[in-house]
Formats: sequence, structure tokens, C-alpha cells
Amino acid sequence: MEREKMVEELAGIVGKENVLSSETDLLLYGYDASLFRGRPDCIVLPGSTEEVSKIVKFARANGIHIVARGSGTNLSGGTIPTQGGIVLHFSRMNRVLEIDIENQRAVVEPGIFTLVLKNQLARYGYIYQPDPASEKVSTLGGNFGENSGGPHCLKYGVTTNHILGAEVVLYDGEVIQVGGKALDHPGYDLTGVLVGSEGTLGIATKLILRIMPKPEAVKTMLAIYNSLEDAGRTVSAIIADGIIPATLEMIDRLTIKAVEESIHAGFPLDAEAVLLIELDGLKDGMERLAERIMEICRKNNVREVKVAKTEAERAQLWAGRRGAFGAVARLRPNYFVCDGTVPRTRLPEVLTRVMEIGRRYGLAIANVFHAGDGNLHPLILFDERNEEELRKVHLAGSEILKLCADAGGTISGEHGIGTEKMKEMLFVFNSQDIAAMKKVKKAFDPEDVYNPGKVLPEQTLSA
Amino acid sequence: MPSTMKTLSRLQEIVGEANLIKDRDRLKAYKLDGKTPKVVVSPATVDETSRVVAYAYEKGLALVPRGNGTKMKMGGIPKRVDILLSTTRLNRITDKDCDNLTLCVESGITLDEVQKTLAREGRGYFLPLDPPFSDKATLGGIVATNASGPKRLLYGTARDLITGMKTVFPNGDVVVSGGKTVKNVSGYDMCKLLIGSFGTLGIICEMTFRLLPLPEKEATLLLSFQKLEQADGFVREIISSQLIPASIETLNRPALDYLKRQIPLSTDGNYLVAIGLEGVREGVERQMAEIGERGKRYGCVNAEAMDGEEGEAFWKALRDFSIWSDPDLISLKSNFFLSKHGEMIASYERMTAESGVRSALICHSGNGILYSHLLTAKVSRSKAEVLAGLIQKMTLEAVKNGGNLIVESAPSSLKKRIDVWGEARSDLRIMQRIKEEMDPRRILNPGRFVGGI
Repeated sequence: MEREKMVEELAGIVGKENVLSSETDLLLYGYDASLFRGRPDCIVLPGSTEEVSKIVKFARANGIHIVARGSGTNLSGGTIPTQGGIVLHFSRMNRVLEIDIENQRAVVEPGIFTLVLKNQLARYGYIYQPDPASEKVSTLGGNFGENSGGPHCLKYGVTTNHILGAEVVLYDGEVIQVGGKALDHPGYDLTGVLVGSEGTLGIATKLILRIMPKPEAVKTMLAIYNSLEDAGRTVSAIIADGIIPATLEMIDRLTIKAVEESIHAGFPLDAEAVLLIELDGLKDGMERLAERIMEICRKNNVREVKVAKTEAERAQLWAGRRGAFGAVARLRPNYFVCDGTVPRTRLPEVLTRVMEIGRRYGLAIANVFHAGDGNLHPLILFDERNEEELRKVHLAGSEILKLCADAGGTISGEHGIGTEKMKEMLFVFNSQDIAAMKKVKKAFDPEDVYNPGKVLPEQTLSA
Repeated sequence: MPSTMKTLSRLQEIVGEANLIKDRDRLKAYKLDGKTPKVVVSPATVDETSRVVAYAYEKGLALVPRGNGTKMKMGGIPKRVDILLSTTRLNRITDKDCDNLTLCVESGITLDEVQKTLAREGRGYFLPLDPPFSDKATLGGIVATNASGPKRLLYGTARDLITGMKTVFPNGDVVVSGGKTVKNVSGYDMCKLLIGSFGTLGIICEMTFRLLPLPEKEATLLLSFQKLEQADGFVREIISSQLIPASIETLNRPALDYLKRQIPLSTDGNYLVAIGLEGVREGVERQMAEIGERGKRYGCVNAEAMDGEEGEAFWKALRDFSIWSDPDLISLKSNFFLSKHGEMIASYERMTAESGVRSALICHSGNGILYSHLLTAKVSRSKAEVLAGLIQKMTLEAVKNGGNLIVESAPSSLKKRIDVWGEARSDLRIMQRIKEEMDPRRILNPGRFVGGI
């Protein structure tokens, strides 16, 4: 279909001002936080479920693909319109529809920023637990699509553990409800399948989230190390000792340097690694738990443990962690985030080997990650104008994922498969495993209207 | 359909003569809503399971999976039962990694056996699931039916605890989903689809669970109230507080009377609220004191604290409630909005009384889930009519309060008159599509799941 005609038809549904198709727009909506680029035919900003349904019907009737997106903080190219089509941008559907304290649920539209909801909940003393580092701008619809994680997921679980239902527009425009405010609805757990499906199965237009009373007490500690391995060993020792803190984050030397240059979080510049450890829950017994953790740190050669004494000190430490990716971005023109996960006991050795891979390719690697979950985020620094370096980055990235898979882990902990890691899916799944997933895709979207060419590798299509 | 003789000899080749039951008298014990399977097979490995399923698929034979059979009364009346596949020989622990807090087990092992093994490891660990009949229930059965217990308030359900699975799909494919790490977004989350799928999409052979260290301290607090409003007000205050109980259960008088026949309880009130506490010692002690105080403010007439074995005996009796009730017991599970707690209990008491049925109600108050056990003698034809009408009314009440109703156990004469999976919802179409794609020949558990799946 010709673009002009498409734009005209879509304008009839959402209004002229909500269809974008200038050269600049096509460029702006052609990328996300990954290294990939695409080009949509146009961008549509729907204002309601009904409009989404109409757009989908129109697209399907005309064989046009749809890629739904929020703020585009996606790190695996999941929101790139690689095959053109319509990009559905949810910036207009960004309302909190209901904060239902009695039932401990919030109902939101997908375009709302994660932090905006959290700030509203804070007024009631309530919290939505998942906390992706990009929560200031990431949307809950995006979190739903990617099954986002974050530091506090160590104790509280990832997005999927906090999404209880959704309103979903199917590939033919029909609107269904999955799950709900109540738990345990009869039938297959479609909500569980949709979360993390990267916009390939359906488009969520309303989300039902679990919210809970804010914990009574919080204690945040910074453990400082002269060796990366010692920090890694501390992480597995804390878990093995049966303590599950709310967070257990690791930041290495290169990241510390970047953070201190831009944010001044108070991380010591001469340390090889720091652990950001937070306990939360009842105040009773917390001191004793903290002491047990410090004892484990000492056994693993910690240099010093600092405890945040005020809320301001705690906020400063967290600003350092949340701003880490941004800070690292200042070191070189580009960085590439790997997102592998390993069983926690394998962390120290895997970290050592990640650094070896960096040295072998002559690439600088910064590490800032969710150590307690075994979820590594090596950031490989480079300059995309240097083609040879870019080639090496992809090779090193793939090698790191292979390393994680071979250590009994997987190729994505929280960033998704998207466009980037389809090849690597075969590190962890065989063709039968992927064929089973393809049946799910076919059940939801038999005509491949939604986000085509993502998540599932092509070569096993016939399997 | 192939001749029975041929089927039997083929299956015998796969699992061995000793692991196949074909004798008519012995098969009767495996009857399902009046339908007797032609054969029971017990494969010992994932590979054998795959070959049995592939054979059934090739020949279009209906295959019903079974662990130790604690939930065979659940589900709709099967359309066909040809092969009953018992998972009891798939009973190994395949990877015990307590330092990493994960455990991989086969589906036919019982939960109690797993807990006993874990408790002996190092500092002591456990798998945080507490469904009914944990001494008999297999993990495969627990997961396939998404069974849970009182502690789900603190620990969640299988969907929060499973990180990976190995499943035999209807065509015999052995499919691996998820993995061993707690965070994993590599591809679709197939585990979520299989949990609670009631054996209609695949035979779960192996599962990886998250573990937790055993808590430092456990305690139980029983508070009785004369009026439902008091119990309800109290419960809802605890739920919205910053306290972190492991479980909050509300029982009505008939449920309490039944329990008292099993275990000594000093409590005496019309409603009992049982609170389970576990975790760090100081936290448990403080919550005991504070919850007791809050109870008094709501008019608690009697408070009883239990710890150790006494507490465990109470929770076991509560979880396994239906086991020592009438053989014709009818068990219903309703879900609803948390805030409708008091309304649901009151309306169910009223409705059952109006139908002349005594009902023992046990509520996961912090989760919005209510179990109703209808205590009735033999279900005659005329009684079945009355009960069907009652269940219909109770279902509509749950739907009105944001939920639905599942009949977890009922005699076949009653099942014929109702939909045991409650009211259909708008997502049924996709569920049927998934079944169609995964099991186009409808060999797995045909007719027993939602919408006739």
C-alpha cells in the first residue's frame, strides 16, 4: 500500500495529528537502545483500545506489519521495525486508570512511565516492585513486553511476577481480557505467556499490576573490594548462606570510574569492584542479618563496608547504580550491553572469562550487573564508525553469551531476544524447543501481523 | 484405531511387561468418572515417555497423565480414556544445587520426599510450596494442576517458583523450556503455559524450582471471632499492614468443627483466623505480639499460639481438609477481589444454608481464594439438581466479585450437570487455538479442561 494512502486511512482512525510520517519521524522511530536500525512506513499514536483495534484490523486487511513500542529503551532490537510497517507508539495512552489500594492492584495504560506510577503509589505508601534501571522513561507496556527486571527482582521477582492481567488486542482486532485483579483464573496462564513475548503475540492496551505496602525498613550497604573475584565469591557466599537481600548489585572498576566522573556517587576510585547490598522488610532482626552479611564480606577479603546512614546517602548510592549505563556511555562513543545469566555459584569464574574475552579482542569491558541473580551485563565499549571494532564487538558479545549458556545459564536475563540474539537462541534451545514456541506464535498471530522476524530464529521454521 | 492387542504389545515393548497394567480388575482402580482405561503404563525415563506419547499420537489414542491420583476428581468428564500414563517411576532428583538455591526433579516424586531430602542438606532448605496431600501428591501433578496452599501468600505459586521444565509434547517431542537461572527471558515463557495446563498440552517430565533456606523460626497464631465482620476487618487490616505473614486463613464454624475432630484445638468461636509466621526470629516474635494485639482490637475472643510440631500438625490438617470428609465430598474453589472477602464468605454461607447444605469454608484471605467443601451425604438424582443450581449461584457470585469458580471434586452425576471450570471468559478462544496448535489430534486429557479442551 502506498504510504500516502496508508497515512490517510490511519488519520481517519486517530486524527491527522496522530499519524507521523516525515523523514525525521521515520528516522526517529527506526531505532531503539540496541545497535539496530530499521525504517517504519509511518508512526501512529493511538488514544484508546478501540483505536488500536481499528488500526490492527486495517493493518491486517492490508498485509501491513505492526510494531508496538513505548520509549524505545529496548536493548535487543525488539522494537525495530525491521520489515517496515506501522510503529504503534503509546505515548498518548499513558494514564493510571485506577489505584485500587483495597485490592492491592493498579490498572494502567501501557504508555505510562514506570516511575510515574511508582511516584503516585508512594503517596499511598505502596510500591510496584520491578525497577528496571531505565524506569524513569521506560513504559510499563514495554516492561510487559520485555519482562523487565531490575535490582529488586532478586527478592521480589521480575515483571511477570507482578502482572496479573491485561486487556489485549489480538491480530484480528478482537479485544480480550487475560487474567484479572483476582488470582488463579481458570485456564491457561495467557498473561504469563504474553509477558516477555516482545510484542509478537498481542498488544496490551491495559495492564493490571500487583502493588504492595512499602517495606517497613531498608538498609543499604556498599562493600568495597580490591578484587573482582572476591566480590563475586561474596555474592555466591551470601546466597549459599541462605540470605536473600532485596538487591545484590556489582559494579566494577571501569564503571566506578565512569560513575564518579559523572554522578559522584561516592564509590572509591581505587577499588576493583563494589557490591551494593540492600535489605528490606521488617525492622526486627535486620541489624543481625546485616552483621551476618558483613561477616561474609570480611571472610571474602572486603576492604570496607559502608552503611548508608540517611535516605540521602542511600539515594546517592542508587543514583550511582542507576546512572551507570549513562556514565559508561561517556567513555567511548558507543557501548554494547550483553545480558547473560549464569547460576550464581558460577559467577566468579564466568566474570574472569568475560574479562579474558575482552582482552583477546582488545575491547574494554565495563561490568555493572545484578550479581545476586547471576545476571551479567558486560558493557563492551567501542566506536561504531570503526567497522572492524564493531565486528569484534558482535563476536565478543556472542562469545560471552555462549560462555553463559555453557555455564548452565542463558542468553538473556531481562533484555530480551529481539533482533539481536535470535542466532544465539540455538545456544540454549534445539529445534524442537523452538518449534513449540512457534506453535504459540501461530495460535496467537497466525498471519504474522505483530512484530515479525523477532525472537524466534527463522531456520527452524519448518521444524 | 489399532486393535487393543497390538497397542498393548507395542506399549509393552517400550516400558516392559512389569510396568504395564492390562488386567481388567486391576484397571478398575484407575477408573475416571466411570471410564476405565484400556491400559496403564509407567515409563521410567523421559525417552520412554516420549515414545509412549508419540505412539498414542500416531494412533490417535486418548492419553491421561496421572501421578499419585490425588486430583483425579478434578476436571470435566473425559471424552475418551485409552492409555493412562503414570509418572510414578519418573521419580529422581536430577540436580540438587542448594548453594545456588535450585532443584531439578522429575515429575513423579512426591513433595514430602523432596522436602525431607532438602531439609537434610547443609543448613537446611525447602521448596516453598504447600499444597494438599504433600505426602502423596507428585510435583508433576501439583504443577499441572497449579495446586497451592496457605503459604502462597508469602512465597507465591508454581508460576513464581519454576524456572525451567522438560515436557513431552503431544507429538512426542521432548521440549526444554526456561532453564536453571531465576531470570530468563530467552524466548516465550513456555513454563507459564504448562503450569496449570492440566496435562492437556504436554506431559511434564522434569522441573527446576527455586529453593529457599529453611526459616529460622516458625509460629502459628489462631484467633477466634464471633462475628464475620470482626474476622474480616481484622484480616484486612493485617493484609494492608507492613507485616509479612506467611499465611492468613479464615475458617467458618463447620470447617472448624471438622478440624477439631482431628486435632486438639482450644479455640471456640464462629470464625477462626489462622496466621502462619516464618522467617527471622526477631520478626516472627514481633509479629506474634503485634498481631495478637490487633486481634483484640477487633474483638478476638480467644487466641492460641502454636509452634513446632503442634503448628505443623494444624497446617497439615488444614491443607488436607478434604481427605477425611465424606467420600461424596464436593470441593469448590472460588477466586475474587481481596476486598470482597467478607461478602463472599457471607453470601456463600447464606446460599448453602438456603439449599440445606452444610458448607465448610476455608479462605486464603490474603489471596482472595475461597474453598467451599459441601458436606452432603450420597448425591441422589434430585439432590444433584439442587446442588447444580447452588453451584451455579455460587459461580455467579464469584464472577460478580471479580473471580470465577472451579469444581475441584464432585461425583460424576453432578459433573454432568455443570461446567466444572466456571464461566467462560473472552480468552477462551486463544486457549482453544493453543490446544489446536499443540495437540491437533486431541490425545492429551480430552474433554477434561476449560471449554471442553
